[in-house]
Amino acid sequence: MSAETLLTEMPSLSKLYVNAAATAAKGRLLRSEPVLALPSRAVEVRGVRADLAKVTEFSHLMGEAARDVLPSGYLHALVFPVAMSVMVQEDFPLPLLGMIHLRNQVEHLAPVMFTDELSVRAWARDLTGHRSGTQVQIVAEIHNADGTELLWRGASTYLAKGVFLPGLDKPTEAAIREDFIPPAPTAQWRLGVDTGRAYAAVSGDFNPIHLSVLSARALGLRRSIAHGMYAASRVLATVPQSKPEHFSWDIAFDSPVFLPATVSLEVVDSRTDDGVWLSSVFTAWNARAARRYFHGSVSAGGSILAGGGTRQEGKQV
Amino acid sequence: MTTPTTPGIRKAVIIGGNRIPFARTGGAYAHSSNQDMLTAALDGLVARFGLAGERIGEVAAGAVLKHSRDFNLTREAVLGSALAATTPAYDLQQACATGMEAVIGLSNKIKLGQIDSAIAGGVDSASDAPIAVSEGLRAILLDLNRAKTTGQKVKILARIRPKDLSPDAPSTGEPRTGLSMGEHQALTTAQWKISREAQDELALASHKNLAAAYDRNFFDDLLTPFRGLSRDSNLRADSSMEKLAKLKPAFGKSLGDDATMTAGNSTPLTDGASTVLLASEEWAAARELPVLAEVVDGEAGAVDFVHGKDGLLMAPAFAIPRMLARNGLTLADFDYFEIHEAFAGTVLSTLAAWEDEEFGRTRLGLDGAFGSIDRAKLNVNGSSLAAGHPFAATGGRIMATLAKMLHERGRVDGRPARGLISVCAAGGQGVVAILEAR
Repeated sequence: MSAETLLTEMPSLSKLYVNAAATAAKGRLLRSEPVLALPSRAVEVRGVRADLAKVTEFSHLMGEAARDVLPSGYLHALVFPVAMSVMVQEDFPLPLLGMIHLRNQVEHLAPVMFTDELSVRAWARDLTGHRSGTQVQIVAEIHNADGTELLWRGASTYLAKGVFLPGLDKPTEAAIREDFIPPAPTAQWRLGVDTGRAYAAVSGDFNPIHLSVLSARALGLRRSIAHGMYAASRVLATVPQSKPEHFSWDIAFDSPVFLPATVSLEVVDSRTDDGVWLSSVFTAWNARAARRYFHGSVSAGGSILAGGGTRQEGKQV
Repeated sequence: MTTPTTPGIRKAVIIGGNRIPFARTGGAYAHSSNQDMLTAALDGLVARFGLAGERIGEVAAGAVLKHSRDFNLTREAVLGSALAATTPAYDLQQACATGMEAVIGLSNKIKLGQIDSAIAGGVDSASDAPIAVSEGLRAILLDLNRAKTTGQKVKILARIRPKDLSPDAPSTGEPRTGLSMGEHQALTTAQWKISREAQDELALASHKNLAAAYDRNFFDDLLTPFRGLSRDSNLRADSSMEKLAKLKPAFGKSLGDDATMTAGNSTPLTDGASTVLLASEEWAAARELPVLAEVVDGEAGAVDFVHGKDGLLMAPAFAIPRMLARNGLTLADFDYFEIHEAFAGTVLSTLAAWEDEEFGRTRLGLDGAFGSIDRAKLNVNGSSLAAGHPFAATGGRIMATLAKMLHERGRVDGRPARGLISVCAAGGQGVVAILEAR
């Protein structure tokens, strides 16, 4: 990173959403020239600490015991305002509102305790064409207080649908649509219409598309949808049964989970002959429509993220 | 033709224990559930003894105040832990003696050869207590669920009265007497003429002993910090007789000047969890795990307290003489006494009963008084008055603490050091046990 924006405190997500809405409106009015490159700055916040009450509520919402070690999904929520700050920078080429979450890849290098003071840093990379728009990856890293040890690294891939920037190559061939034949489910989630509001309350992510039918409609969706990170966090609450100190996970979102929903899940574990857990793959689908919602994997150790690499070639499961 | 071979009785030993510090209600664990706390205690035990991936014979634990959704509390904690998912578990509940009964029941299975290893535990949260809808509203809601037509539903809903909307919180009252545990003990304390000063002295000793045990790092391998707490939050190392004397009576106020029980010499409502690792000697040896003590014997007892014949918390006063007689032991054969301090008055009433000639003759059927103990051997590392008392977690705290004390002591006069545990419980019950050093 050539330059850095150091924020003095964790930015407020609600302000970021308001700013994003304002930027979007301004963009529409002024029709300014599109920005074609990602800002090279990283955004950093130091002295970050978990909110213990929120950690507890977060774990309870996912149905897992609240521990002193922070759950992976909570860490994503913790760094999310910093990642958002990257996307609301004036020279960020894509509109924040309405972006679709395609994928998350996370590597946990060491357990993060609720008492730990942390440094959070986020930047954008891999602005690439997508058959239906433009995609970008936001990388966030959590270091210990003095920045000497990397504890957690996550990369979120977002799609700005319908935004085509000149000069970016579009993949010429459309992705092959394979027919999804649902396996026998190993679990089922019944998600009420309040699922989005409940996750917003524990994560701070009050994106209107998750909150209510009306607020989702205002952004062009027919109903509100569950947060992708709710799904990921809920899978991670039980997969694996007990978290190793070093593990990685990867989730790809295939279609939005419109609320209310009945989500069927299949989780398949692989273990050594001695029964030691190695990895799990999971698939979730709409129980009624046989449409895949998301799929992914959790693995012991392993680096599914090439540090600082420019291409994302995550494991396909 | 083959005949089944049943293994004979073998020994059950305590390898160690792990608990989280106990917190006064509404404190550090105010938002922690029983599941959180039991899981934290279990995680620490698994880490301490390298049990990740291990299939334990059985895990038994429980909570006195339990949400109905936690019907499989212990099994859920196992599934959330690093123990093998093939580890079976069950919940049990015997009020404040839950942890004791868990240790004794599992030890018996080990002794019989049914299992080789076990984890006993207990947890309670007075902060995150279940609150139920009122009995009236509950009946209405159940009827509503059975109603078929809208007309029926409307009629049923119309039955709701304002009083139905007040929730039903758990209380420490005895269902048959309506008296709280403190009020019951106040009657017993007065019956045995236990002075305010004697109660305050016991409370002070509890705080001083527990503080000293922390200061010499006695609890380092018995405890895992949780939610920022590394010591029991009720502990007052700087307590004094003067400070305790200033407190106003909290129970037995109807006794007027004879009211002696205060917040200082009664245990506060507390949140916490504890676990104890039990095994056969072979299982421990195969894993090169330490062995602290042997679970020699245990007994549950109960008294007829409902119409005041005996005090609510006096069951151990009867159970211990029976258990010692069965083992050919007297109070003089013990090096440590762990008498759970539900109230200072409970401990002192029990000791007074044992020292009483008439109680010995008429109630215990002995020739005279059962006996007295050397007070220097009583609760030497503190007990519930200082540590607090998360109901179901107290048994596990005492078992692990005593096992370690006995192991450190080793042998006394050519025999293994011996300890006696007494835990009273609601409903006029109590569970007692004998441990021996290894």
